[in-house]
Amino acid sequence: MSLAEHPLRKYTRPHVKKTTTCPGCGNGIVAQAILWAIDELNREEGLSMDDFVFVSGIGCSAWIPSPLFAADTLHTTHGRPIAFATGVKLGLPRQKVLVASGDGDLAAIGGNHLIHAARRNIDLTVVMVNNGIYGMTGGQTAPTTPRGLNTITSPYGTMEPEFNVAAMVAAAGAPYVARWTTYHPRQLKRAIKKGIQKQGFSFIEAISQCPVQYGRVSKLGRATAILEHFRDHSLKLAKAREMSEEELAGKITVGEFCDRQAPELASQWSELRARLGKEQG
Amino acid sequence: MAKVTLFPQACKGMEDCGICALVCPQHLFTSSGEMNEAGYVPTRLTEPEECTGCQSCMLSCPDMAIVVVKEKGEEAS
Amino acid sequence: MKAAVRLKPGTHFIEGNLALAEGAIAAGCRFMAGYPITPASEIPNRLSQLLPTVGGVFLQTEDEIAAICSAIGASWAGLKAMTATSGPGVSLMQENIGLAASTETPLVIVDVMRFGPSTGVPSVGLAGDVVQVARGSHGDYQIIALCPESPQEMYDHMIRAFNLAERFRCPVFVLPDGFIGHMREQVVIPPDQEIELAQRKIAPAGTTPLERQDFLDPEVAPMPVFGRGRQAHVTSSCHNGQGMRNLTDPEVMHAFATMPIEKILRHRDQIVEVAADYAPGDVVIVAYGTVARSARAAAQAARAQGLAVGTLCLKTLWPFADQEVAAAAQQARAVLVLENNTGQMLPYIKAEAAAHCPVQFLGPRLLGQIHEPNAVLTRVKEMMS
Ligand SMILES: Cc1ncc(C[n+]2csc(CCOP(=O)(O)OP(=O)(O)O)c2C)c(N)n1
Ligand code: SF4
Ligand code: SF4
Ligand code: SF4
Ligand SMILES: [Mg+2]
Repeated sequence: MSLAEHPLRKYTRPHVKKTTTCPGCGNGIVAQAILWAIDELNREEGLSMDDFVFVSGIGCSAWIPSPLFAADTLHTTHGRPIAFATGVKLGLPRQKVLVASGDGDLAAIGGNHLIHAARRNIDLTVVMVNNGIYGMTGGQTAPTTPRGLNTITSPYGTMEPEFNVAAMVAAAGAPYVARWTTYHPRQLKRAIKKGIQKQGFSFIEAISQCPVQYGRVSKLGRATAILEHFRDHSLKLAKAREMSEEELAGKITVGEFCDRQAPELASQWSELRARLGKEQG
Repeated sequence: MAKVTLFPQACKGMEDCGICALVCPQHLFTSSGEMNEAGYVPTRLTEPEECTGCQSCMLSCPDMAIVVVKEKGEEAS
Repeated sequence: MKAAVRLKPGTHFIEGNLALAEGAIAAGCRFMAGYPITPASEIPNRLSQLLPTVGGVFLQTEDEIAAICSAIGASWAGLKAMTATSGPGVSLMQENIGLAASTETPLVIVDVMRFGPSTGVPSVGLAGDVVQVARGSHGDYQIIALCPESPQEMYDHMIRAFNLAERFRCPVFVLPDGFIGHMREQVVIPPDQEIELAQRKIAPAGTTPLERQDFLDPEVAPMPVFGRGRQAHVTSSCHNGQGMRNLTDPEVMHAFATMPIEKILRHRDQIVEVAADYAPGDVVIVAYGTVARSARAAAQAARAQGLAVGTLCLKTLWPFADQEVAAAAQQARAVLVLENNTGQMLPYIKAEAAAHCPVQFLGPRLLGQIHEPNAVLTRVKEMMS
């Protein structure tokens, strides 16, 4: 990446000159979607990178903000970014705190933090890159891997159904949940922007391509083949809701799972402090 | 009309990536046939004047190797 | 509820865990995350009442992993932050104790130790975690651990713990056992203005990481606290002094592992504290925590009988008081190590003392019970004969 004249270059650390992702990896598309969302918020609401803290876990997707984004970035342990982000947000309620991490990170090892952050309704924006696989460790089964796929650790085919993470997060109480694929970068950007604007827990699932690991085990191969798969199998939620489970097999439902208001945790803490007559700190 | 700028040194290659070629509704991307410093063969634009300025290639390029600037008066999507 | 009120300066008769909670507030703690566990629960219970009244936040997390992670996050947000738990919770926290050490995060972790292993006996105290707090996370790292022996020290050590955490940008443990946590004793609470508080140094405004040293400074780098435009780059991965990830340069790897250790060991004289009460030729009883009380009682009884017995009580367990133990052993006739466990600190004490004098170990007759001063006295007499 030589971002010499790229309009997003102003949001990235000057010394970071190239990405470490494999060719065609969806993580770069998700990174751009986040930065374009911030760019719009910059123009419309005057937000800058100084208003953000980015938190990530461990995995390829966890490298989206770290080191690329020119802001406070906290790259943590596998599965825990939401727990770290919760402390950051409660300590700095005026900052926008955005978590970017993988499906294994957020939905397997970190699944409980995800559920409870959604339930608590703390004002975080969580972008989960769902590439259906453990990319960084070499193609092992993720909770999001489609049933039947032969992965490195399911050589005879996975026997477990794939995790509908967005639906789970919506059920846990998150006020804003959306899912798009990297074939839908504009919708992805809009959902992330909406998530940042939302005062409350927002979850954006980005179905993304890992051409190297998922491409290999699924035999879809190249990034473009996986993107074509996303294009041909995506289905709007409204339509999906009218269809039977059999009809939905193999489909990727995209759209907004929910968009509602609910009491948010960090602001309730500010209200409590105000009631007790105390400033933070 | 729009102006498309490619950064061939940032491109990870038509063969390995090629996403711009997939998403361009005008099918304007092809291989440049020349290897860059990182060892990838970047894309090039066949007929720049056919570009509609839709920006799909820019938004979909994982390596931020494409910038599409629309003519004045048009807004970024 | 109505706003809770802190204890007024003066003398109170309170249990250790409550003294500790008061000490945390006095030390400037403004964030606590925790998960209920015996024998530590009184700490979150009390801090959930007090923190909002001083502008702080209390968070009951879904588990102890979330507790330590959110406390680390709050510390990077600029707050003095803590968590409190018991052995099982520390076991769950281990990975992120290493993260706190390697990202040089000020953090106070209270471990009110219980009888283990496993779920063990929640309400019975045992010095079971004294090595796991120092060595339980993977890789090489250094923490600080203080070891109170009374409710008064629960209060005092919390203030010292926060001061050390801020000064050295590292995790600091306070390690009472369940006995001290639940023991009621007189505690003197000083007025706030008499308490000296340390505040962390913060990286200069208007700079970016490449213009600074944010990490790996043996003199302790100013912290690029979040939310102030410092563009801090914090990673659990191997990083250089600017915080930038580097997974290829052996020099950087070496510095990443050793500098956060060096940062503490270089200043060990400002950290290590012992209470020494011995004379040349004494049998010196070495103890810490609750057991230090038995050690002193035994020494007093021995002296009343004209026996030359002294004590060396460790107030800090980590960094280990190597020089102080060696100095005592050089003058001692023999060293008797008392621990309420099967001898967790014994190898460290032996390593310093055994070259100078005989070293023996005495656990309580029944593990988890505090040493009978008479049993200690009997052993001392055996050692003298
Ligand atoms: C406690 C712990 N367990 C295991 C690992 C090894 N590990 C690193 S990344 C990873 C999986 C990452 O998968 P995902 O979150 O889906 O991210 P991706 O690489 O696919 O983007 C694992 C298991 C670790 N770093 N820490
Ligand atoms: S392994 Fe997969 S997820 Fe990781 S960088 Fe490569 S393509 Fe992306
Ligand atoms: S999308 Fe970007 S990186 Fe991929 S081939 Fe096109 S220009 Fe190159
Ligand atoms: S802006 Fe649209 S039309 Fe122009 S090159 Fe890119 S994808 Fe093709
Ligand atoms: Mg993954």
